[in-house]
Amino acid sequence: MIGSLVFLGAFYAVLAVVAATVACAAIRSRRALAAQQVDEIRWHETFHELPPSERQCRHVATGEFRYRECPHAFDCRICETHTRLVARKPLILRDTPQEEIFGMSFPLDRFYHRGHTWVRPEPDGTVTIGLDELGRRVLSSPDRVELPPAGAGLRVNGTAWRVHQRNADVRLLSPVEGQVVEVGGPDWVLRVKPADGCPDLRHLLTPEEVRPWLLREMERLQLALSPAAAPTLADGGVLVDDIAANYPEADWDAVCGELFLQG
Amino acid sequence: MDRQLIARRLPRCPARQFVLWLLPWTALLAFGLYAAGLCLVKGLNQTNMDNRFAFGLWIFLDLTVIALGAGAFFTGFLVYILKLKELSAVIYSAVVIGFVCYSGAVAVLLVDVGQPLRAWFTFWYPNVHSMLTEVTFCITCYLTVLFIEYLPIILKNRKLRQVPSFLVFEFQLHKLIYVLAGAGTFLSFFHQGSLGGLYGVLRGRPFAFREGFAIWPSTFFLFIISAVAVGPAFILLTTWLVSKISQRRLVKPQVLDLLGRISGLLLSVYVLAKTVDTLIWINRTSPGSGFPAWQYYSWNPFGTWILFAEIVVFGLIPALILLIPRLRRRTGWLVSAALMACLGVALNRFVLTVQTLALPTLGFDQFVSYRPSWQETGTFLAVVAYGVLVYSFSFRYLQLFPQERALEAAPAAEAEPVEEEPVLVGRYSL
Amino acid sequence: MTRYGMSIDIDRCTGCGACMVACAVENNIPPAPEGAGDRKGITWIRVFQVNNGEDGSNRKSAFVPVLCQQCGHETPCVSVCPQQAVRVDPQTGIVGQMPERCLGCRYCMAACPYHARYFNWWDPVWPPGMEKTLNPAVAPRMRGVVEKCNFCHGRWHAAKERAAAQNRREIDPGDYLPACVEACPTGAIRFGDLNDRASVPARDARQDGSFRLLEKLGTDPKIHYHSRQGWVRQIASAPSGKEKARG
Repeated sequence: MIGSLVFLGAFYAVLAVVAATVACAAIRSRRALAAQQVDEIRWHETFHELPPSERQCRHVATGEFRYRECPHAFDCRICETHTRLVARKPLILRDTPQEEIFGMSFPLDRFYHRGHTWVRPEPDGTVTIGLDELGRRVLSSPDRVELPPAGAGLRVNGTAWRVHQRNADVRLLSPVEGQVVEVGGPDWVLRVKPADGCPDLRHLLTPEEVRPWLLREMERLQLALSPAAAPTLADGGVLVDDIAANYPEADWDAVCGELFLQG
Repeated sequence: MDRQLIARRLPRCPARQFVLWLLPWTALLAFGLYAAGLCLVKGLNQTNMDNRFAFGLWIFLDLTVIALGAGAFFTGFLVYILKLKELSAVIYSAVVIGFVCYSGAVAVLLVDVGQPLRAWFTFWYPNVHSMLTEVTFCITCYLTVLFIEYLPIILKNRKLRQVPSFLVFEFQLHKLIYVLAGAGTFLSFFHQGSLGGLYGVLRGRPFAFREGFAIWPSTFFLFIISAVAVGPAFILLTTWLVSKISQRRLVKPQVLDLLGRISGLLLSVYVLAKTVDTLIWINRTSPGSGFPAWQYYSWNPFGTWILFAEIVVFGLIPALILLIPRLRRRTGWLVSAALMACLGVALNRFVLTVQTLALPTLGFDQFVSYRPSWQETGTFLAVVAYGVLVYSFSFRYLQLFPQERALEAAPAAEAEPVEEEPVLVGRYSL
Repeated sequence: MTRYGMSIDIDRCTGCGACMVACAVENNIPPAPEGAGDRKGITWIRVFQVNNGEDGSNRKSAFVPVLCQQCGHETPCVSVCPQQAVRVDPQTGIVGQMPERCLGCRYCMAACPYHARYFNWWDPVWPPGMEKTLNPAVAPRMRGVVEKCNFCHGRWHAAKERAAAQNRREIDPGDYLPACVEACPTGAIRFGDLNDRASVPARDARQDGSFRLLEKLGTDPKIHYHSRQGWVRQIASAPSGKEKARG
C-alpha cells in the first residue's frame, strides 16, 4: 500500500511539475504578448544567435578592449562598464561636420546604431531616423519597403521598418523608443516622438566611434560578399554605389543578415 | 527553393539533393511500416519469437536504443543543472536524438505487445512491484518531457519564429528549461535503471538474476551507469557522422574532447562496477540458485568470449582510449572508441535479452536459438529510417548546432580569448 | 482455506500423453495453425522425455509431465505483470491468469523458469464442425495474450456450485479434479489439498524420493514429483551443462 502511494505519488508529482512548467510558460507568454514585448524578445533571441565575433563590445572597435562579448545585447544604457569608460574618456569635439570613408559620407550631426540606422535630434523635440550610407548602398534597389503607420510604437532594437530586396527580408533595427509621427521624408525615413522627453541615446555610437566601427563593418561586408576573397580594402579605394548589382551571385539574404544584425 | 525555411547564413545543400537523400530512407520506412503493419494485423506469428524466446530483436533494440538515447537527459543535466556551458553546442542535437530514440522505442513496443490497445491498462491497474510498470510510466512521462523540450527547437525555425506567439512561448519555455531538465533526469534515472531491473529481478533466470540494494538489483545501477557512460559517446558519434555527411563544421573540437572525457570516465566506473558485480554473481548469486556459473558458457555460441568481449574488449579498452589525452585528440581514435563503447552497451543489452532466454533453466530443457524474421527486421529498420528522416529534417530546417555559425565566421580555431580590463591606449588616453 | 497441489509419480508415467489431450479438450485450446511448431504451440501440460545420458543398455529414460507449478512464494509471474493480470487466489492457492487484462507483453513468460506459460501467437480458429468440441464452461482466449494451466479452475467453480446446491460450504474433495488427473491411465498425477495432511499429494510430498523442480530458486511450487531413481532427481536441479554444443 505504501509502495503504491510512493510510486504513484512520485509520478503524478513529476507530471504535475511538468504540466505546471508548460502552463507557466504559456501564461507568461500571454502576458509578454499583451505587454508588447515581442520586439524585445526577438532582438534578445537574434542577439544570442550571433556568433561571438559579431557580439563584440563597441569599445573593442575603439581599442579599449581586445576582446569583449557584449553582455547586454548592445543596450549600453544599462551597462556599467560603458558608463565607467565614458566617464573616464574626455570628449574630443570634432570640427568636421562629416566623415568621409571609402567614398561614403557619414554626417556627424547624428548618432549611429550598429544596425546601420541613424538618429538625428530635431529642433521640435522629435527625432528623425534613417538608413546610413553603407546600408543605403547595400539596399540600393529594394523590391518592396514596408513602413510602419503613423502612431505605431517603436522599441529600441525592435523593428523600425522592413525592406525586401532579392531574397533578403530585412527588419531594420530601431535605434530609439517612441511613437511614429510621420513617414517618408526627404532625407529621413521616420519621424519619431521619443518616449521620454530627452531620449537616452547612450547605446548609440558617438561621432568618434564611427570610423573604427565602419572599418570593421567594411571588412565584414567584404567577407560576406565573397567569402573566398581576402579583404581588399586596405589599399584604399571607393565603395561602389550599387553593391547588389556588382555581386549578383552573392547570397543577399546572408549579406543583409550579417550587416543589419538579422541573426 | 526552401531557403526561406532555412536559417540565414547556414549553408545547406540544394533542395533537390536533399530529396535524393530522403528517398532511400523513405522507401525503407515504407517497407518497415508494411512489415509492422503485418504484425499488427496478422498477429505476432509473423515474427520468429516463440514460447521459449518470448522477447526477441525488438526488445533488444528497445533497450539498446534507450541506452543510446540517454545522451539527451544526461547532456541536459550537464548543461542546465551543472552549468557545463561547453556542451550547449550539442544539447539541441541531443534532444532530437533522444526524441527519435524514445519515440521509436515506444512505437516498436506497441507492435511488440499482443494487444496494443490495452496499453493503458498498465496505468489503470498498475502493479507497483513490477519493474515493467515502472518502465512504462517513466518512459511515457519522459517521452512527453522530450517532446516539450523538442518543441522550442522546432519553434525556433526561421519561418515559425515569425509568429509572435510562437516566438514568445519558445522564449518563456526556454527560461524554465532547467525544470524540464531536472524532471527528465529524475525520470531517466529511474527508467534506465528499471530496464536493468527488468532482468535483475528474474529469480527464475539465474543467468540474469542479481542481488542488490533494497528492491533494486545491481543491474538497476549498472544500467544507469552504462547509459550515462554511452550517452555522451553516442552524441559524439552522431555529431561526427552528421558533420561528415553534411561536410560542415558543427562544433569546436573541444566539445568532442569533453564528451569523450566524460564518457571515458563513466565507462571506467562502469567497467569496475560490472567486474565486481560479475564476480559476486559467479561466486555467490548464481550458485545460490543452484546454477553454477561456468555452465552458462558451455552452450555454443555463447562461450566465455562473450563475457570477455563485453567487459574488456568493448568496455575497458574504449574507456582507456577515451581517458588518454594523446589518443583522444586524434579523431580516428576518439570516434572508434565511442563506437566501441556503444557496441559494448549493445552487447550488454543483447546478453541480457537474448542470451538469458536462450539458456535452459530446467534440467531437461534445451538451449534454443532464434533468428529474427524479415518482418521483425523490417520493423527495426523502419525505426532507423524514421530516426534518420526526423534528424535530417531537423538538421536542415532547425538550428541544431549553435556553434556552426561561429565556426563559419571565424574558421581559424584560435585559443579561447579572455576578456580583459580596458586598455587605455590610443586616442582615448588621458 | 485450501492449497491445491499435485504429486506426480515419474516412475508411473508412461508418456502416453493422455493428460495433454485431455487438457487441450477441457480448456478449449485452439487447433495448431500451419506454421505452429514445437515452440509456438500451446500445451498447458507437456510431457518431456528425459534420459540419463548413457548409451546402449545403460540408457534409461523417463517421462516428466510439466505444467504450471503454481508457485507459492514470490511467484515470479505475479510480481512482474505490469497490470496485475495474474494473481494467486487466496482461497485455493491457484495462480490465475486474466486473459482480458493481459497486454501480451510476455514478461511473465520470461520470468517463468518452468516455461509453463504460452502465448497466443495466432487468432484461435476452429475449423467448421470442430466448434462442437468446445467446452462451454471455459472461455477461449484471444490472440495476443498469455495463458497457462489453472488447475481447471472452471471445474472448481462447478464443484462449488454443486456443493452450494446441496447447502454445503466446502466442496467434496473428490468432486474437483483437473482434466489431466482424470485422464491419466496409470494414476501418475494425483491432485489434492496440500493443507490437508491426509490428502494424497500431501502424503506423497513427505515421502523419500520426493522433490520439486528447481527447488533452490525458492519459488515454493505446489507440484511434487517423486521417483526412486536417483538420476531423475538429479535432473530436477539446474542443467548440469553436460549437454554441450547444442543450439
